Amino acid sequence: MTNYVALLTAFAALFAGASSGAEPPASKPAAADPASPPAGSAARFTQAPGTGSLSFSFMQAGAENKGSFRQFATELVYDPKNPAAGSLKVTVQTASLETQDKDRNDTLAGADLFDVKKYPTAQYVANSFAKRADGQLEAIGKLTLRGVTKDLRVPLNLRPAGNDYELSGEVALRRLDFGVGQGEWQSTEWVGNDVKLQYKVPVVRVR
Amino acid sequence: MSVRNSTRSWGSLSKALHWIIVLLIINQWVIGMRADSLPLGMAKLQALAWHKSFGITILGLAVVRLVWRLMNPVPDLSAETKPWERVLAKISHLLLYALIFALPLTGWIMSSAKNFPVSWFRLFQLPDLVAPNEALFQQMRSLHHSLFALLVVVAALHVAGALKHHFIDRNDVLRRMLPFGGVE
Repeated sequence: MTNYVALLTAFAALFAGASSGAEPPASKPAAADPASPPAGSAARFTQAPGTGSLSFSFMQAGAENKGSFRQFATELVYDPKNPAAGSLKVTVQTASLETQDKDRNDTLAGADLFDVKKYPTAQYVANSFAKRADGQLEAIGKLTLRGVTKDLRVPLNLRPAGNDYELSGEVALRRLDFGVGQGEWQSTEWVGNDVKLQYKVPVVRVR
Repeated sequence: MSVRNSTRSWGSLSKALHWIIVLLIINQWVIGMRADSLPLGMAKLQALAWHKSFGITILGLAVVRLVWRLMNPVPDLSAETKPWERVLAKISHLLLYALIFALPLTGWIMSSAKNFPVSWFRLFQLPDLVAPNEALFQQMRSLHHSLFALLVVVAALHVAGALKHHFIDRNDVLRRMLPFGGVE
């Protein structure tokens, strides 16, 4: 937001300078003052109840295994005019994992993998967003999973839907970075280390 | 020994397919029993990965075998073979062919229904035949086991027939399917 305002002010100053033929514009426009509030367009959004998907996939003996978390909450602060000031918080109930097979669900929920009794939630918190060189917006934050917190940049696609958005994207991570895989599951020969997360979450404006 | 069959003898490809599939089926039984006895863990995942890979191999060989069978003459049974023996042989051969398709296919459906897709030796992943469905998995599991029991019975009959030809009728029906045996 501040960059945008600064730019606008600089332009205005430049225009004024050019038309009056007076001195060049001030190098530090007053509008860059960080204390000035944003122009009132940063809005808060939350995941609409009962919507959204958060799925994961990994390779198991050469075949892609898929699952999802059925319970998670998303809070987004986003201003299209100043994406850098955005924030994102996603809280996942680890026990809500579902792979369409009870044995696999129980194994993943067990102490050697997600350990859902000890770590009932996983959380992603990002307090700023940035645009990559290719224009992709991403959240700069940290993922806490199974008690381990690591930096993670999460790509964000925000598709406007009326006053609201649909947040989607996918991010790759390695399960062993977070200790998801103790004992025999530390081996990556039959269960891969790479995990792909895919998300598609309608978020609605908080009024 | 010719690659192709003649009306008197099996060619090398028919023999190779016959015996490779026999060995793979025995191997499948051993790995399958082991996988069944294990709780979900790394060892079970490994055993099932091998079981699925060999099963798909059998399915592929079954296709080759059926096509080759249709493209080649089938060696005649000896002239003394009685009509009921011919009928029994025909039925058991038909069943054996059907089973080397049906067992891999029911196994593949089991994998898809349980949402554990099939990979062939970790080289490529096969498409799912059905959507995840626990009830269907249970049905396919019992069908897979029943079909294997049927295979054991029909294979026993097949072996008994071959031994009867060899030891009682003293003809070359058994010898001509042996890897290096056969008529000149």
